[in-house]
Amino acid sequence: MSLTAQQWLGRIRDLELPGKVRIMNVCGGHERAITMAGLRGALPANIELIPGPGCPVCVCPEEDVYQAMQLALHEDIILAAFGDMLRVPVNLPKRAVRSLEQARAAGADIRAVASPTEAMGLARDNPKRPVVFFAAGFETTTAPVAAMLAEGVPDNLSVLLSGRLTWPAVAMLLASEDAGFQALIAPGHVSTVMGAEEWEFVVRDYGIPAAVAGFTPVSLLAAMYSTLRQVREGRRFLDNCYPEVVHAGGNRSAQRCLAETLDVVDANWRGVGVIPASGFALKPRLAAHNARELYPSYEDPARKHSGEMPAGCDCSRVVLGKIYPNECKLYGLACTPRSPIGPCMVSDEGACRIWWAGGVRERKAPAVA
Amino acid sequence: MCLAIPMKITAIDGFNAHCEAKGVERDVSLFMMQNDTVEIGDFVMVHVGYAIEKMTPQDARSAWELFDEALGTADIPLTSGDEHV
Ligand code: SF4
Repeated sequence: MSLTAQQWLGRIRDLELPGKVRIMNVCGGHERAITMAGLRGALPANIELIPGPGCPVCVCPEEDVYQAMQLALHEDIILAAFGDMLRVPVNLPKRAVRSLEQARAAGADIRAVASPTEAMGLARDNPKRPVVFFAAGFETTTAPVAAMLAEGVPDNLSVLLSGRLTWPAVAMLLASEDAGFQALIAPGHVSTVMGAEEWEFVVRDYGIPAAVAGFTPVSLLAAMYSTLRQVREGRRFLDNCYPEVVHAGGNRSAQRCLAETLDVVDANWRGVGVIPASGFALKPRLAAHNARELYPSYEDPARKHSGEMPAGCDCSRVVLGKIYPNECKLYGLACTPRSPIGPCMVSDEGACRIWWAGGVRERKAPAVA
Repeated sequence: MCLAIPMKITAIDGFNAHCEAKGVERDVSLFMMQNDTVEIGDFVMVHVGYAIEKMTPQDARSAWELFDEALGTADIPLTSGDEHV
């Protein structure tokens, strides 16, 4: 018998928790489902749901967006990018071209794509022109990029890869003094690809209960209940509340594509810094398809605030779950989806944008200075 | 870009499948499904144009219902940028 969302909520309310419990999620899709379903308001006050590092657009290095933009402006190429990336502003003066969208308006040939296969199609349809596919994303997005490379791509297609692994960011938080959460909702589709086992370290090494969740309120509430009951009973295990598509070992074929084409490397996360073994890079044998090898770096050492979040933007602390979006002093004032300041308000995966779209208008005084 | 959608396979040609979800049709790559047998009529979870896992028709339908609800209330567009899904 499966329970309804109301029944799960009832079970959660009936749990006598020892105190406040903060549950972190690390997936924009989870945050969106939680916010849209109004789960925060429905839960008892001692349970806090914190959005963590779940937005690949938000953590994509500013330097990479800048490089993609400069390539599109200065090289005779077609730049393909996921639509989310087009509006992310880089740190340049207000009147300069500061996003891929603006670069396109200035004449650069930039195309939004929804899939690696579309980038491949662009390269096939334009055999005389180099196509650079700027691909930012977590495992679920990077595996398809790897599959594209494994299947074989046209000579004129290269990849500017900003792929990231999710679990090392959580590991970094857990290894820090103050992780700030006592339970984890592990990402559903990342686990579909990589296997839920990837999250076992959370339980094993840190004694933090974890459960993989899907994207329905029922699955999310089941995962929350599982972790909360673990907190209450002092038992710890990794639960899978998304058995529909999360199977033991994950998708081996996808993992093989990743292993054949990409290396795992230390990688920079915007606003966070370098996290060891948290990024993907094309294997040396694919250098002919690696835009980082094929084109010069356009980074200007004198460029002010390169790599940083925009001035006043608190995305770095939002991404790490240190503050809620509406604790940023620009939230809803200078920064709204119509005129976003930071990547967290640009991307559909960004917590600031999700909260705004979910109707959160009041601002909150920061709990921590 | 992180939104995955269950789709039903309506045609297969090598690693390319044609899929359908609630009237929307898409080409979907089966390249990452090589460890599974995938047939016409099967449901798959699709992420950025690639099938990442098979699923049952029941699970696919309940996920679709959720999207209907989410789309009815959210002002987050399912598409951002241009044709980005
Ligand atoms: S509200 Fe805007 S400025 Fe503040 S953290 Fe979010 S994206 Fe950055």
